[in-house]
Amino acid sequence: MDIFHNLLYGFSIGLQPANILACFIGVLMGTLVGVLPGIGPVGAISILLPTTFHMSPVSAIIMLAGIYYGVMYGGSTTSILVNIPGEAASVVTCLDGYQMAKQGRAGPALGIAAFGSFIAGTLGIVGLMLFASPLAEFALRFGPPEYFAVILLGLTLVTFLSQGSVIKGLMMGAFGLILSCVGLDQISASPRMTFNIIQLLDGIDMVPLVMGLFGVAEILINIEESTNPEILKTKIKNLFPSKSDWIQAKGAILRGSILGFFMGILPGGGGVVSSFLSYSLEKRISKNPEKFGKGAIEGVAGPESANNAATSGAFVPFFTLGIPPNVVMALLFGALMIHGMRPGPLLLQDHPDIFWGVVCSMYIGNVMLLILNLPLIPMWVQVLKVPYRILFPLILLFCLIGSYSLKNSSFDVIVMIIFGIIGYLFKKFDYEGAPLTLAFVLGPMVELNLRQSLLLSKGSFLIFFTRPISAIVITITIILFITPFISYFIKTKKKHKHSTGSN
Amino acid sequence: MNFRDQLSGFFWLVISIFVCVESIKSGVGTFRFPGPGFLPFWSGVALGTFAIILVATDLLKEKVGRKSKNLSEGKKWSNVILVLVSLFAYALLLPRLGYLITTFGLMVFLFSLIGKPRLWIQGVSALITVLATYIIFYVWLDVRLPKGILGF
Repeated sequence: MDIFHNLLYGFSIGLQPANILACFIGVLMGTLVGVLPGIGPVGAISILLPTTFHMSPVSAIIMLAGIYYGVMYGGSTTSILVNIPGEAASVVTCLDGYQMAKQGRAGPALGIAAFGSFIAGTLGIVGLMLFASPLAEFALRFGPPEYFAVILLGLTLVTFLSQGSVIKGLMMGAFGLILSCVGLDQISASPRMTFNIIQLLDGIDMVPLVMGLFGVAEILINIEESTNPEILKTKIKNLFPSKSDWIQAKGAILRGSILGFFMGILPGGGGVVSSFLSYSLEKRISKNPEKFGKGAIEGVAGPESANNAATSGAFVPFFTLGIPPNVVMALLFGALMIHGMRPGPLLLQDHPDIFWGVVCSMYIGNVMLLILNLPLIPMWVQVLKVPYRILFPLILLFCLIGSYSLKNSSFDVIVMIIFGIIGYLFKKFDYEGAPLTLAFVLGPMVELNLRQSLLLSKGSFLIFFTRPISAIVITITIILFITPFISYFIKTKKKHKHSTGSN
Repeated sequence: MNFRDQLSGFFWLVISIFVCVESIKSGVGTFRFPGPGFLPFWSGVALGTFAIILVATDLLKEKVGRKSKNLSEGKKWSNVILVLVSLFAYALLLPRLGYLITTFGLMVFLFSLIGKPRLWIQGVSALITVLATYIIFYVWLDVRLPKGILGF
């Protein structure tokens, strides 16, 4: 009954005209960003974040959340039609989606991606509703050691599940923590690493950092290239999948939804990992695995459902624990902080309008996305034809305005440009920006909880092992941490044994 | 041996030493009473340790006989440098000349970077962009854009 009342309350907020408009703008922007290769949800949210400063916190989060799950819908369009993923979570869709398009089945591919995303998104929201409240109550038992342990696990998982080298990911996590310390110490208020620059007393702002690292860097990488992706010249017809398509895809949609939702809850999980896992699962259990990579509809339905369900799952730790499980949620975390709200178990009690308003707007947003993505596909195809030489100056301009508008200061613009150079070099030297960004956003929480824990325990680290929740979480973190090193040493030893034996 | 990993590893080692020195100046404190430099110091130590591991594992790897990727092959580096210079110039000139003039200049330059369209097309595109963004951000969203010498 409680959930029903809360839902009604949520719809009363979600259906307010300002919030419907915010939701619509969010999902439209998200779909557009998803369709356009070269800029992902992180770049889009960081660019549009300053526009939310004049909105209420509810409307701001509704819009930004709309961008996040909207991107997942839009990303499949370019994957299927151009064989270029609109964003990372749609990489896997290229494998079978493009093949389906080449076989003249672009319509059913696009259709099943849209319907699968809708069903998964809806199931994910139901899961969010059911899990959030009990988990929030459980989280009230968390103290500084538990929070420190969970955040550390999250940072470790993000590092290990990122696409590049684990060592480089760990280095980026450490560097992110260092960057988060620039400015005034939150306990003693003494300046740290400010180098007598007054603007650094407030620390480095998140917005120019992420805009530079993801927005500007992506543009710098793209303008080096001179590729012009060609759109597949095929007629897009029969957007509604046939009965046999539904029979083949229904299991994949359901499995993708469940897998995606739980992967989304895990720190470091999210759309990318869940889409890959879903594809692997479908291929493994399929009666005809040889069809995968040649136009199997399950290869589109499963991953697209998984990446959408993951977006709903990601809101569970965000709202209940106040811990963003991935970079996009870290930006939403930052957005709520800018609006004076603190995500966490108390948010559901003190600001139920934010939680239930966002949940209900996600139902509304999913319906909007289904309408936007099916009949408007020909329009999105036209958008793909906009030359990059027109797009990139506009994206840069939005980044510049966004950075400047924070404090009306050119300093933030320069910070953005510097991080743009850093992000560009990261791509050249195979470093990932995601662990850095997550560590940067979580750094203040890490420091506060670590120092409070050590003060409580009079300097003893045993406090993390004497409390059951933190003990379990820290143990998992340690196992995760040392596993790659152990396997590396075992591999090296085997190689050495093998080469000695053959001599 | 991967030259890029070696170079970046040594770079991060230098950064970690720098961070540790700065943290000591701020006061690391003790485990019982952690100071302001506590987290940056230990993060710096972690960064340095991982950098050493990166360099060491790369040195220990057997030669695979593959060339490491050439960073500059087939790339238009000049575009990157030009964009960065224009962005820095924009940041410095924005408070002095104002949003309208500075942005118009930047847009004309950026639109000309790829494809070399005609000057009048660049000018018109830049003008439309500046006016549209001025209306959206300054008028509608109430973002305080600098006025500069034009006074608006």
